[in-house]
Amino acid sequence: MQSSVTESRSATPGSGGPPAQVGPPPRRSSGRAWEWSLAALLLLPNLVLLIVFTYRPLLDNIRLSFTDWNISSPIANPVGLSNYVEWFGRDDTRIIVRNTLVFTIATVGISMAVGLGLALLLDQKLRGRNLVRSAVFAPFVISGAAIGIAFQFVFDPNYGLIRDLLVRVGVGVPDFYQEPGWALFMVTVTYIWKNIGYTFVIYLAALQGRRADLDEAAEIDGASAWTRFRRVLMPQLRPTTFFLSITVLLSSVQVFDIINVMTRGGPQGNATSTLVYQVYQETFVNQRAGYGAMVATVMFVILLAVTVVQVRFMDRGKKA
Amino acid sequence: MNEFSRRGFLGLAGAAGVAGLAACAGTGTAPSTGSGGGSSNTIEFWSNHPGNSKPVEQQIIKAFEVANSGLKVKLVDAGKNYEEVAQKFNASLAGGQLPDVVVVSDVTWFNFALNKQLSPLDELLSTAKIDTSDYVDALYNDYNLDEKHYALPFSRSTPLFYYNKDLWKAAGLEDRGPKDWDEFLTWAPKLKAAAGSDKIVMELPDGSNYLDWVFQNMVWGYGGAYSKEWTPTFSDPNTVEAGTYLQNLAKDGYLKLSKDPAPDFTAGIVGCSMMSTGSLGGVAKDAKFPVGTAFLPGDGNCPTGGAGVGVPANISDDRKKNALKFIEFLTNAQNTVTFTQATGYMPVRKSAVGLPEEKAFLEKNPNAKTAIEQLPKTRSQDNVRVLLPGGGARIGKGLDQIVQGQDVATVFKALDAESQQVFDSQIKGKLGA
Repeated sequence: MQSSVTESRSATPGSGGPPAQVGPPPRRSSGRAWEWSLAALLLLPNLVLLIVFTYRPLLDNIRLSFTDWNISSPIANPVGLSNYVEWFGRDDTRIIVRNTLVFTIATVGISMAVGLGLALLLDQKLRGRNLVRSAVFAPFVISGAAIGIAFQFVFDPNYGLIRDLLVRVGVGVPDFYQEPGWALFMVTVTYIWKNIGYTFVIYLAALQGRRADLDEAAEIDGASAWTRFRRVLMPQLRPTTFFLSITVLLSSVQVFDIINVMTRGGPQGNATSTLVYQVYQETFVNQRAGYGAMVATVMFVILLAVTVVQVRFMDRGKKA
Repeated sequence: MNEFSRRGFLGLAGAAGVAGLAACAGTGTAPSTGSGGGSSNTIEFWSNHPGNSKPVEQQIIKAFEVANSGLKVKLVDAGKNYEEVAQKFNASLAGGQLPDVVVVSDVTWFNFALNKQLSPLDELLSTAKIDTSDYVDALYNDYNLDEKHYALPFSRSTPLFYYNKDLWKAAGLEDRGPKDWDEFLTWAPKLKAAAGSDKIVMELPDGSNYLDWVFQNMVWGYGGAYSKEWTPTFSDPNTVEAGTYLQNLAKDGYLKLSKDPAPDFTAGIVGCSMMSTGSLGGVAKDAKFPVGTAFLPGDGNCPTGGAGVGVPANISDDRKKNALKFIEFLTNAQNTVTFTQATGYMPVRKSAVGLPEEKAFLEKNPNAKTAIEQLPKTRSQDNVRVLLPGGGARIGKGLDQIVQGQDVATVFKALDAESQQVFDSQIKGKLGA
């Protein structure tokens, strides 16, 4: 009967008056109630979990950011905005925010670009491509701590793989662990290597679901390969690019294991510290859990703002 | 509908992601003051198994269970280092499921004691009639706050001076460590010439990996200190002189910092280092050259280190009593010998050195003997490194900057100010409370 309601509405577009009621109202109301019940039944478990394990701690975290809580103390005294005032006034905040920006922009940009490049390459009919696809994806499922340990053998200035390569071509070997710029480079490259598998596999799935006829039509019309990539392929990949930009951004900002294993935020104390590492450092090393909660709250606000901007940007792109 | 779903999904995923991210900062739960869960006849022992000691810990536990029928010990992997054990213990303070015995390092014990999360052991020790005079005094007194002891020594270490005897011979040096750092400076050019350009004269751990621990030896050697009691003394001219010495060693190409000098030293790339006694077993086993060990340069300038074992404050009296029984067994003369021979740590009981098996062991392992003989020359660490929250990391950062060439006086002046600020805001009000 419901399909007949739809048909009836469709048949009278712009008639002005309310659609004629067809069928008994009690049945529709019980149908709605059933739909609502089903929706609630399906949503409720996840909603409860989200509230208990995500939103409640989030609110608690915001509350703690206004206290001087020492992680081992049973007492947390309110301190107003002083944690926030201190963070904005401290010298290391500038360095840590800069590190976070450099690390995040580099990992998001490079891992998406390389992931797309590999996906385009391995979307072709090549011999052994399944093996290569697996090899490219594999690092993503390895734990960050294991990768961090393995890459110490790559970057070690005394006997690492990179040293060996650079010595062969007669280039000086930087001390990746002691020079701040090189240390940040090291952890960034390591994370990009881990993350490329993820961007690759998502882009590959998107490429396999694209409309090949559009590309063929453009080719017949004489469009160059670059034009086809830019004007035909990329617009089709826009939702995927948007999805990746959000998920890779969120995961990049949360990187902790690789930094902790490789540099512990150093050298010089904070040369590779990011905001999430500062949360750990302040909470567990300096025992200032209230201050750590404040840094986490600042991160929350920044990421929320960035995500909102990304969503708006996506919407505008669609309307254009 | 399709557009809404995708956008809605992405928006929700993003919001949940950032929310989850922010939520990772703190548990936000009210700290527990309850009985701490647990069972009175099962002793839960939280350890990071210092020096890969899990098998020997299990061996000691087995012996304890045989000697104390009715009591069981559950050994829990509580982290891969002392800091991770402290993090897990902090989480348990909020969650309420407390261990009976927990490993606490020279750095982590104080914050727990200050916030009344560890039991003072003196009364329990006296009730159980445990004689503490057999514990090595310097190690026992490291856990003293307001005339009460909050842990007993367990996996205790000191730094040693390690050197490559082949390199020493090639440089024409006597087979011994330097008497002081001035003497080392006269040796350094000879060592550099003998080592060649592809090897490093001295490698020390960097500021993220305990340079601040071993550097205390240099500071004390020049008559300086990180602090006198709670007053930071980085700007003291003697401390600055030690900092300048460190900087010049690096500037002249005699010193490099690394994440961990042990593999480089073992591989023969490095001529000498200051490393923990806990590294001795691995280094001696894997090095392809004769390894020499010596006292740290200077007389009586060796900092203590490592960890002890404590008992949480908020568990029942029965559990505390059993926990102490286990700690006493774990650290008695016989077991401290078993433990230290397996790991390279130091015996924590005075009488241990007199046991026949220890005498035989030291006879066979003269490098282990160095650590024991250095023990009377050890000194408790300066408060601002070991008791101030984040002290080690803060000083390590400054030392990294100095080695990279920043002005010593400026770096140390900043350390004075930062340390004072942390003391004023986090410690001062709680002392004696």
